[in-house]
Amino acid sequence: MIPPLPQAPRALDMGPAPGVPTHALPLDAAAAASRAGRFDVVVVGAGHAGCEAAHAAARMGLSVALVTVQVGDTAKMSCNPAIGGVAKGHMVRELDALGGLMGRITDRAGIQFKVLNRGRGPAVWSPRAQCDKRAYSAAMLDVLAATPGLQFVAGTAERVRLDAAGRVAGLELSDGRVLESRAVVITPGTFLDGVMHIGEQRVAGGRIGEHAALALSRCLGALGLERGRLKTGTPPRLHRDSVETAACTEAPGDEPPRPFSHWTESLTLTQVLCWSTHTTAETHAVIRDNLSRSPLYSGDIRGVGPRYCPSLEDKVVKFPERLSHHLFLEPEGREVDEIYVNGVSTSMPADVQWAFLRTIPGLERCEMLRPGYAVEYDFVLPHQLDPTLQARRTPGLWLAGQICGTSGYEEAAAQGFVAGVNAARTVRGESPWVLRRDEAYIGVLVDDLVTREHREPYRMFTSAAEHRLLLRADNADERLAAAGHALGLITDAQRERVRARYADIAAEESRLARVQVRPVGEVARSGVTARDWLARPQSAYAALPALGVATALAEPEAEALEVRVKYHGYIERQRRTAAQATAAESLRLPVALWDTDLRGVSHEAAEKLRRWRPETLGQAGRIAGVSPADLAILAVLRARKI
Amino acid sequence: MSLPAFDDTIAAIATAPGDSGLAVVRVSGAGALACAARVFEGAPLESALSHTLHHGWARGPAEGAPRLDEVVAAVFRAPRSYTREDVVEFSCHGGRLPARRLLAALLGAGARLATPGEFTLRAFLRGRLDLAQAEAVADLIHAETERAADLALAQLSGALSKELHAITERVRDALAETEARVDFAEDVGGVEVPPHVREAIASAAAQLEAMLAGSAFARAVREGVHVPLVGRPNAGKSSLFNALLGEARAIVTDVPGTTRDRVSEPLELAGVRVTLSDTAGVREAADAIEAEGVERALASLASAACVLWVVDASRALTSEDHALAARFGAARVLVALNQSDRPGVTRASEVEALLPTALTCVPVSAVTGAGVDALREALARQLGGPESASLAGAVANARHAEALTRAAGALRRAGGAAQEGAPGEIVALELREALAAAGEVTGETLGEDLLERIFARFCIGK
Ligand SMILES: Cc1cc2nc3c(=O)[nH]c(=O)nc-3n(C[C@H](O)[C@H](O)[C@H](O)COP(=O)(O)OP(=O)(O)OC[C@H]3O[C@@H](n4cnc5c(N)ncnc54)[C@H](O)[C@@H]3O)c2cc1C
Ligand SMILES: Nc1nc2c(ncn2[C@@H]2O[C@H](COP(=O)(O)OP(=O)(O)OP(=O)(O)O)[C@@H](O)[C@H]2O)c(=O)[nH]1
Ligand SMILES: [Mg+2]
Repeated sequence: MIPPLPQAPRALDMGPAPGVPTHALPLDAAAAASRAGRFDVVVVGAGHAGCEAAHAAARMGLSVALVTVQVGDTAKMSCNPAIGGVAKGHMVRELDALGGLMGRITDRAGIQFKVLNRGRGPAVWSPRAQCDKRAYSAAMLDVLAATPGLQFVAGTAERVRLDAAGRVAGLELSDGRVLESRAVVITPGTFLDGVMHIGEQRVAGGRIGEHAALALSRCLGALGLERGRLKTGTPPRLHRDSVETAACTEAPGDEPPRPFSHWTESLTLTQVLCWSTHTTAETHAVIRDNLSRSPLYSGDIRGVGPRYCPSLEDKVVKFPERLSHHLFLEPEGREVDEIYVNGVSTSMPADVQWAFLRTIPGLERCEMLRPGYAVEYDFVLPHQLDPTLQARRTPGLWLAGQICGTSGYEEAAAQGFVAGVNAARTVRGESPWVLRRDEAYIGVLVDDLVTREHREPYRMFTSAAEHRLLLRADNADERLAAAGHALGLITDAQRERVRARYADIAAEESRLARVQVRPVGEVARSGVTARDWLARPQSAYAALPALGVATALAEPEAEALEVRVKYHGYIERQRRTAAQATAAESLRLPVALWDTDLRGVSHEAAEKLRRWRPETLGQAGRIAGVSPADLAILAVLRARKI
Repeated sequence: MSLPAFDDTIAAIATAPGDSGLAVVRVSGAGALACAARVFEGAPLESALSHTLHHGWARGPAEGAPRLDEVVAAVFRAPRSYTREDVVEFSCHGGRLPARRLLAALLGAGARLATPGEFTLRAFLRGRLDLAQAEAVADLIHAETERAADLALAQLSGALSKELHAITERVRDALAETEARVDFAEDVGGVEVPPHVREAIASAAAQLEAMLAGSAFARAVREGVHVPLVGRPNAGKSSLFNALLGEARAIVTDVPGTTRDRVSEPLELAGVRVTLSDTAGVREAADAIEAEGVERALASLASAACVLWVVDASRALTSEDHALAARFGAARVLVALNQSDRPGVTRASEVEALLPTALTCVPVSAVTGAGVDALREALARQLGGPESASLAGAVANARHAEALTRAAGALRRAGGAAQEGAPGEIVALELREALAAAGEVTGETLGEDLLERIFARFCIGK
């Protein structure tokens, strides 16, 4: 019962050039190529990064071509059909507040919504939604199709064209067409020289059933970009009817579901159920007996995989003391047969996968629709990018998404947005747009990418953000809506709504600071205001009416108020440290510095500094191997203006 | 912020001015050997091996310039030198002129006159010393007692940095574990901050506090302390002051109210530089001058490391003694039961009863000198803490003590938050704050003002 894929909207299949009557077009593709078009911005790859990049640039008023191999695969969820989770959910909220798409699309395609970590502190409360894969793609296509200025181009990008000055001039496709543009954003995901491993089998490709982008990878090499190799994996999919859910534990969503997007009023949907189960001693025995057949252990895979998302064979080998591992069974959509097995990423041969799955409670009679597999791919070492994600040595070329060494849809989308916005601003002759580490996880992400060494796929964690208490999912709009508005991606009405929302919260807080309460069971003790009472760990806003205090806020504003009041002291302290850190960030280092001999700087630090070319003293300080003494010398060199 | 160059060649006279047998002139920098060679008549210094001595003559850099002095040149090649640059140290004759003429010759040969502390600044910039060590050099130069010198030396050898490093490593581990639980709640499960991490935090806090406990004495050693003698008029304060100093410094008469202004003199006790001061006797003042003197006597209590309370034991205690005792507050007090050569009236127990804390009372006679040595010893004990107290790793510097006090405070708050089951990210926030504060000592934390502080200390100040 698979719904038909939506029609590709306005796919420019060797489309006619404006003003040329269709009947006059030559039928031969090579001749048509020269008329393929001129665009302000060309984006390669309609994945999670590419969609945000193209959308942002088009919304900023530019003409944008979104080149992708198969338009029907737009915003395809290659792996887990879920958006958000710890730290990732924060980034989606930030994108949403800035005018990005991911949050809104998730609200349309979500089938189960949950806020994770509710039992813990507010900095780590993270929204997550299980999505219907097809609905997600369809909703994204819908929105992009309705975005003025955005045109899909079905095709495979092969080469970036440069002008005589070494600046980007356009993009060549494999069929000979050329798209002229001064700004190209490349977001090909895992497709750069991708190789899939299913047990002993090796197939070239970026995703099952899709071809690898070899030419594009070579082109980036020819541009002088240093590349590395990473790997990631995806678990097997099972047939829904073959799973004995009665033997598993139900994992329902939150009721009522809370929308992901700031701009979604409410959600009305019947949420689907997920289930949890676990591996057994038998499962582990099957894996151990077949380790020699895993490409991870036979040495076939050279790419480095993420430590935090290990394959099941890794878990069994590295944690021998654990007799069982948790896993979740997640439907990939409302009306699809596939169940995603979260927690058993593997690259074992299909027969081994099948054998070990059947040792898991609830899966004794399971049928595999698709085996799990690992994919190895090229990425570009991101120290070669500036903080707008533009390649330092090739003006006009931006990279975003998995190609920069990250993993995950949300990380990709965030970078796509940054690259798209900056490509657009550059075309319009405006200054670079960069978020600070204390403003957004997106700022942390980009800064980490361009100033740190990466040996495994980068995934966002809350610990990466030193100002975590300020960067909460609940206040993303307060932090960023004004920035989104300044970019032209948030409307006046939206900005006004955010302003009013926080004015209401502030007004309610000062009202509560004037009202006295007598908590139940406490003897007449004078001087407890409702605000101070609310600041206590066990108090809740919803309990105020029981103390005779009327309440004015509904969820989620009520919760936002509680967080502010309860964590007031910590939030203020973090604000102060953030301000101090920003001071070091404001000491800019001139680029010309890196072409001098950096006399006095230690040998190791000089090498690192030349590689990373930090833009501020603060960034220099975050590079491993740069000591305080080296920083002092940089400060001197900087003051001399070389 | 005035920033000196750090890659040219600098020279300065390294010994104190004044009469001495020898003086040392030092040159450092990439051009040090060439520069030194131009003013040296003897072995070719540019090809000299590291750590070699060369006898010869100093002369001006100009062709045919006359000889200036007979010198010995010590050659240290980078990085095996104080600054990690090429260094030549000339030993020339002492006195005012020889060193100055040799320095002028070096400046003429292309060196720049070093600013105060600049050799040490270079040692820091070249990574040979951390910030705490570099500061120790300044302390060593300014040490006025043996113990202050020992203390600076311990810090210079990195004892403080090492001890601190051991503590911060444990805090880093605790932070990593706490963070892991914040980010991988599902995988690690359960408690936010497990007991072994809480213990690690508590013991790191305790270690820092122990370092700080020795800090009062270490600072006394580094900075010196103030000990005022206070008491009723005619108790014998001025007499005792003279007896302790071993000279008749203050005026002594049998007129009550003789001393008006405060008189201070230095004295070394237990390796601590003590500033002893005689003050006006405390009573209802007869005139404005005496009233001002009494005011100053009482004001001296505030800055005192220890108060020496002089009581005339040959007379009964009066309401003035009661009033004075009430002013001591938190100050440490040592009692001298003076005039012990005369028949005793006031016993130690009566004096002790006036103060809430235990007191040491030492019978003494300023006139006969009996008990003065015992009093000196008692005072040394008051200042010195445990006699065997090791100063290795002690926190002597006020800047360090302040930063570490903040670090210890943050660790205590982290422990408290963990105990109450606060969210892991709150505990982590405190731990990060502790690390940042501790890092200020060695210069690892790039604070807003760190660089300014470094340059202020070495280039504008001393
Ligand atoms: C097998 C697999 C397993 C994964 N496992 C995990 C995981 O465990 N955890 C996790 O967090 N993330 C995982 N991911 C990663 C997640 O899917 C990506 O991080 C995210 O989708 C990256 O987004 P992107 O926009 O960079 O690229 P993608 O979403 O992959 O999109 C790239 C798009 O570019 C198109 N394209 C590529 N080359 C060209 C070209 N030359 N011309 C035109 N179009 C081109 C492709 O057709 C595709 O549509 C996995 C991905 C795969 C494929
Ligand atoms: N017999 C005896 N006389 C002492 C002793 N100490 C001080 N005197 C005498 O007491 C008198 C006052 O001594 P000072 O030392 O001037 O006393 P003071 O406490 O400084 O007095 P003011 O300066 O007036 O506050 C002098 O005549 C001293 O000689 C002592 O230990 N024994
Ligand atoms: Mg006197």
